[in-house]
Amino acid sequence: MKKAIFSALIFQFCWFHKLFAQTGSPDFMRSVGKIYVVVAVIVTVFIGIVLFLIYLDRRLTKLENQIIEHDQNDN
Amino acid sequence: MKKNWWKILGVLLLLYVLTVGMLIPLKPGIVEVIPGSVRTGDQIDLKVLGYNSFYSLAKKPIRAWLKLDDDRALQASDVKVTSDRQLAIRFDIPDYLPINTKVQDFALVLDSDADGPSILPSAVFVTQDSIDPEMGLQVWKNSPIDQLTSKNILTFPFRNILSETIRNTYFHVSLWLSMMIIFIGSVGTSIGYLRTNNLDFDRKAKALTVAGFLFGLLGLTTGAIWANYTWGQPWSNDVKQITTAIALLIYGAYFILRSAFEDEEQKARISAIYNIFAFVTLIPLLYVIPRMTDSLHPGAGGNPAFGSQDLDSTMRMIFYPAVIGWALIGLWMAQLLYRVDRIRAKLLDLH
Repeated sequence: MKKAIFSALIFQFCWFHKLFAQTGSPDFMRSVGKIYVVVAVIVTVFIGIVLFLIYLDRRLTKLENQIIEHDQNDN
Repeated sequence: MKKNWWKILGVLLLLYVLTVGMLIPLKPGIVEVIPGSVRTGDQIDLKVLGYNSFYSLAKKPIRAWLKLDDDRALQASDVKVTSDRQLAIRFDIPDYLPINTKVQDFALVLDSDADGPSILPSAVFVTQDSIDPEMGLQVWKNSPIDQLTSKNILTFPFRNILSETIRNTYFHVSLWLSMMIIFIGSVGTSIGYLRTNNLDFDRKAKALTVAGFLFGLLGLTTGAIWANYTWGQPWSNDVKQITTAIALLIYGAYFILRSAFEDEEQKARISAIYNIFAFVTLIPLLYVIPRMTDSLHPGAGGNPAFGSQDLDSTMRMIFYPAVIGWALIGLWMAQLLYRVDRIRAKLLDLH
């Protein structure tokens, strides 16, 4: 699960790179007063928050499994 | 809902930071001056490229100076507006300069009633054919820079290397300060554990450290992206880059240390002590050592960190809410982790 999400993120990065290349300008990131550097930084922070969500998701899944196990032991 | 006001506040603050921080324009500035070097005695036509400027909207003629120092400046003999973003400025450089260096850099100062004043430091380098400060004084026609237009609109400062990336102050610099706030909370709870032996404090400390560590990693990556387009490469072995990497490694060891213990009490006590140690090393690593040597970062080697040029009053209006907003989001993250850990502990008790 984690691997799949991680490779999806990496794939997205590569895809972004292609997109940048397609815009024609060799220095897309430096155009318009380097505003796309700010965009890249915000995207990075967002990815960080998503990674945190994945981490939290996995921990909660473990807890849920423990509860299910606990219920089965009771029965 | 009432209990969660601070989460809503955090989200609202960050929404404000994202919208206002991205929408306020930069102050008009000068991107480039061509040619960048001239000789004494030349009559030169400088091509000036502006940023966010509206040269054709100026009602009064635009004035321009080549500034030598605070008292001495040379005024342009003619300023032609080519377009909103381009000027052609004519300067008559005298045969001699009133200084005894062969090459001297001049700052270009513009003043337009539409844009207000703008400056490009070291815009033009003047090479003297022969050095004679006495003669230079005689031929120097000084025209002091005065009566600059003052503009009172909301803008962020235009810094030549940074341009729009000055907005990263709200998404990179503020992350570090929020990380600091979160780590202070983490140390506080660790001390709380050592005083009370209540495992809840240990869980809180761990959750806060995770959130702070995430902010630190994000700070490092966003910093690398920013550095790539301002300093030329993502990692330039700058003091602050190295010391923060060390600090994060120390905090990374905290998690490894925790995983090494089976006994909850022992784990809590030793990691609390380690957390205090990690925080104590964090202060010199982030705030003392980088200031003692030369660094590319502002706030080091004599550069003021919060000088009016780097963080003016308009930027402060966004920067401080950003710090508080990120810190609240980090606290929210930590609270979620803490609640998960507490439920896990309850479940383990039931077994």
